Amino acid sequence: MTKYEATIGIEVHVEVKTKSKFFSSSENGYGKNANASCTVVDLGYPGTLPTINEEVINQGIRAVHLTHCKLTKKMHFDRKNYFYPDNPKNYQITQNRTPIGREGYLEIKTSLGLKKIEIEEMHLEEDTCKSAHRGTVSLLDFNRAGVPLIEIVSKPCMHTKEEAVLYLEKLRETFFYGEISDCKIEEGSMRCDANVSIAPIGSKTLGTKCEIKNIGSIHNVGIAIEKEIERQTTLLEKGETLKEETRRFDDKIGDTILMRMKETGNDYRYFPEPDIPMITLSQEQITKAISLLPMTPDERRRQYQEKGMKELSIEKILANKALSDYLNRFLSTPLNFVIAANLLLGDISSYLNKNFLSLEKTKLTDEKFLDLVKKLEVGELSNKNVKDILEEILEKDSSIETIMKENHIQNITDVSFVEEVIQKVLDQNQESVKDYHQGKDRALKYLMGQVMKEAKGTINPKIANEKLKEMLQNQ
Amino acid sequence: MKKLSVEEVKHVAHLARIAISEEEIEKYQVRLGALYEMIDQIHEIKGYNDDMMITPFDEEPSLRKDEVGPMLSFEEVLLNAPRKNGKFIEVPVVVNE
Amino acid sequence: MNKYLDLTIDEIHVAYLKKELTPKMLLDEVFERMDACQDLNCIITATKEEAYQRAEELSKEEVGGPLWGIPIVIKDNIITKQIRTTCASKMLENFIPIYQATVIDKILKAGMIIVGKTNMDEFAMGSTSETSYFGPPKNPWNPIYITGGSSGGSAGAVASRMVPFALGSDTGGSIRQPASYTGLVGMKPTYGRVSRYGLVAFASSLDQIGPMTRTVYENAVLLNVIAGFDEKDLTSSKKKVEDYTAYLGKETQSLKIGIPSYLVSEVVSEEVRDVFNHVVDLLKKHGNTVEMVEVSYLEQAVPLYQILAMAEASSNLARFDGIRYGYRIEDSKNIDFLYEQTRKEGFGEEVKRRIMVGSSLLSGENAKKYYDKALSIRDDMRSSFLAAFKDYDLLIAPTTTTAAYPLGQGLDDPLKGFMDDILVIPANMAGLPAMNLPAGFSKENLPIGMQIIGAPFQEGKMYQLASFLEKMLDLDLEGGKRQ
Repeated sequence: MTKYEATIGIEVHVEVKTKSKFFSSSENGYGKNANASCTVVDLGYPGTLPTINEEVINQGIRAVHLTHCKLTKKMHFDRKNYFYPDNPKNYQITQNRTPIGREGYLEIKTSLGLKKIEIEEMHLEEDTCKSAHRGTVSLLDFNRAGVPLIEIVSKPCMHTKEEAVLYLEKLRETFFYGEISDCKIEEGSMRCDANVSIAPIGSKTLGTKCEIKNIGSIHNVGIAIEKEIERQTTLLEKGETLKEETRRFDDKIGDTILMRMKETGNDYRYFPEPDIPMITLSQEQITKAISLLPMTPDERRRQYQEKGMKELSIEKILANKALSDYLNRFLSTPLNFVIAANLLLGDISSYLNKNFLSLEKTKLTDEKFLDLVKKLEVGELSNKNVKDILEEILEKDSSIETIMKENHIQNITDVSFVEEVIQKVLDQNQESVKDYHQGKDRALKYLMGQVMKEAKGTINPKIANEKLKEMLQNQ
Repeated sequence: MKKLSVEEVKHVAHLARIAISEEEIEKYQVRLGALYEMIDQIHEIKGYNDDMMITPFDEEPSLRKDEVGPMLSFEEVLLNAPRKNGKFIEVPVVVNE
Repeated sequence: MNKYLDLTIDEIHVAYLKKELTPKMLLDEVFERMDACQDLNCIITATKEEAYQRAEELSKEEVGGPLWGIPIVIKDNIITKQIRTTCASKMLENFIPIYQATVIDKILKAGMIIVGKTNMDEFAMGSTSETSYFGPPKNPWNPIYITGGSSGGSAGAVASRMVPFALGSDTGGSIRQPASYTGLVGMKPTYGRVSRYGLVAFASSLDQIGPMTRTVYENAVLLNVIAGFDEKDLTSSKKKVEDYTAYLGKETQSLKIGIPSYLVSEVVSEEVRDVFNHVVDLLKKHGNTVEMVEVSYLEQAVPLYQILAMAEASSNLARFDGIRYGYRIEDSKNIDFLYEQTRKEGFGEEVKRRIMVGSSLLSGENAKKYYDKALSIRDDMRSSFLAAFKDYDLLIAPTTTTAAYPLGQGLDDPLKGFMDDILVIPANMAGLPAMNLPAGFSKENLPIGMQIIGAPFQEGKMYQLASFLEKMLDLDLEGGKRQ
């Protein structure tokens, strides 16, 4: 293996998040009844014409911005002509000559350090319809036909499966956080193809490339690339020559297999789409589109770090965009992010998962959350307290104070109350006080137990412990 | 008179997804050849400007607001389809792999 | 009978207002004449039932604008809801759309009554209407002659006076050329003036819908109604629509008029040139300047047009595959067999030939060599026209090189059809408005027309000149009328 170096390029399609489709006003949705979200335009009926959803262009502008691509301000569309039943007009409207973005990059953090993965180009196009195979027939559902897609083509600049996987994760995170796409590979809103070739280390030319199509998860992209490198290496070592071919990854056998080629090859007969005139993006539209972008994951990382969060906790929060978005509402408040993040990742997440809820569906207002974290921070509530009353906090309109009262959780930092309890315990346990002064450590533990018992566990043990020692000194 | 080769005729017929019988090939060799002969006159044109006109329309197109409009019922989707199956349009099986 | 159908639309309108005429009475006259014209084969689908139903509805309303209650026929490549739309092809022989063209919305809103869908060349590909799956329409002036095409049925329907109005479409002269052969006023508006939504695309960057009428005035009235921005068509213009009738009868002295020299060269027959020269003399006599002007690439307009039209057509017609609508062969073993046999059986010869050549023109390296080059030269050609309009108000030329010729004459020549359109193609290439105006007659007493070509969106000025000439020439254009 050491004799060869692999070169990997990756093409990714993501479905763009919009309300309506790219070239028609039918709904852009997933999981609808078959053939229930289309119009005559999506079905390619004669005489129908495309219109352009401005939001797709705006999303394109944002995608270009996030991947550091150069924006093509004057662009047109092209027709890619090929006959296929999932292609209603038998041409796909895409961008061949004037892709909306060119020459960008995403930065990944590999085990060897930071690396920029270069992006060749990115373009806008329409999705095809879905076909399901049933014996001798295929069944067509046109709901997906005309859904907007962005295709992102990397340069063949990756050399390991690690880089490929990190690049895809970065791309997914970027587009997901940019709210450009849901990037759900299992639902098909993100699709990956990988081009893999190998050549002797130091060789100036690339080897023959194989394309692996439509891999079902980022993890499988890694496996597919690894297997493909192995396969090519074995062939070359046997002295065979490689053929350019298209393969697919079969996750049942965990390997790539050869796909039957479409016989026409790649004669797509591209030409500029005459139904769509040249579009010129105004500076105003560009600025506005970019201004609506949510905060990027890297910026979130930076801000959370400033708030004292640890990397592990930051990454856990970023793995759940809803939680990160929620935390971001408090960026300009004095909220303790470390405690808040622990609370969100721990008890709150468990509750939400158990009840299939999102934070918005609970009664947790911003004020309540701030109050809750504050009380934990100053010790007015213990972690155990929170566990006990969390359900009520999330389900009731009542304030934290009210819920605490109802649960007989005292205002445990009320020093006079603590002193009162301790004094009572000391009065009733003079023997143990003596033992303490004679140096018997067990006596302190016993007294502390009695204090907590007397207070029915409602006082902060740390405060009680300090106060107890202090008061014992004065005995 | 220009004539296309048999292979050229078969190639364009396949690109266009139009079946032609063996007997028709010769007819198309001549007829398509005649069209090409005329079209090839443009090779004489020199010294033109490279700017292309995609369509003779100079205005900036107005883009659509992102709103969902009326859609067809599945019955309407299937209405004109020669072959249907449940809520779907049916075609001979498409092998994609 | 036929007391009203031959009146001007203004006279019909007055009769409606006076309540001496109802839409139903007028329809009786229309369908009587349509029956009398059956041999002309201009109508693919007569919409008698729908028309009477609409007449019934209209008679419950107040009389509307000038087109209220006026019958019209529609070229059968314009989509009409619930009315069979065939494109004169076996492929769409039984196609009943569930949507319709924007122009249909507009004429219905104006109160018009659709009485039929007209015959044409299959998918508008041809210049004699003989490529129709339903057989050729015949010229009402003399039924052994062609109507021209591709809007031949629309032309024949108005020329026979079964209706005052028809809509046609013009990709490379398909409104103007048959209008010339049948003595009608036919307007191809500026590209973008009329919405193409619902016009079955032949060549998207060249197609435009337009009115075919008995007179200049009636033409302007119909364009008033069908022109305008449509949010369903990205290539439709947002420029305000003028009242084109306001230009009629205006003074036309001291206009500067150019004649693109190639369009009156030896490609044009002597007979046509004589008629045209007579008009030129008339214009000069009335104080207008008429001069020759050079416009680039007109000599190569036909091959350039062929490349663009056939390439775009090959892509536009790819959707006819037997899956979602239209003709489909009975049994298909596999998907390619379904495509190839359906398209072999569903399309006629001319259409197949153009799709094949169009596909090959875009294939591999050809796209650069042919299509891109044609787009570049097209840009230059348009610039050259626009430069001419800096010096001239309007351009004029003959519409056709000869008068109509007998049916069957050009059938076996794949190039003849294109050569018939040599004078009308340039306006489509440059996206300019151009119209046919009847200008005289041939020795066989067949109409001969002339073209008026305007700068973009100068339809008003064209109507102004056309109405002046119409009055001066004062031709008897009822030679095709059937009793």
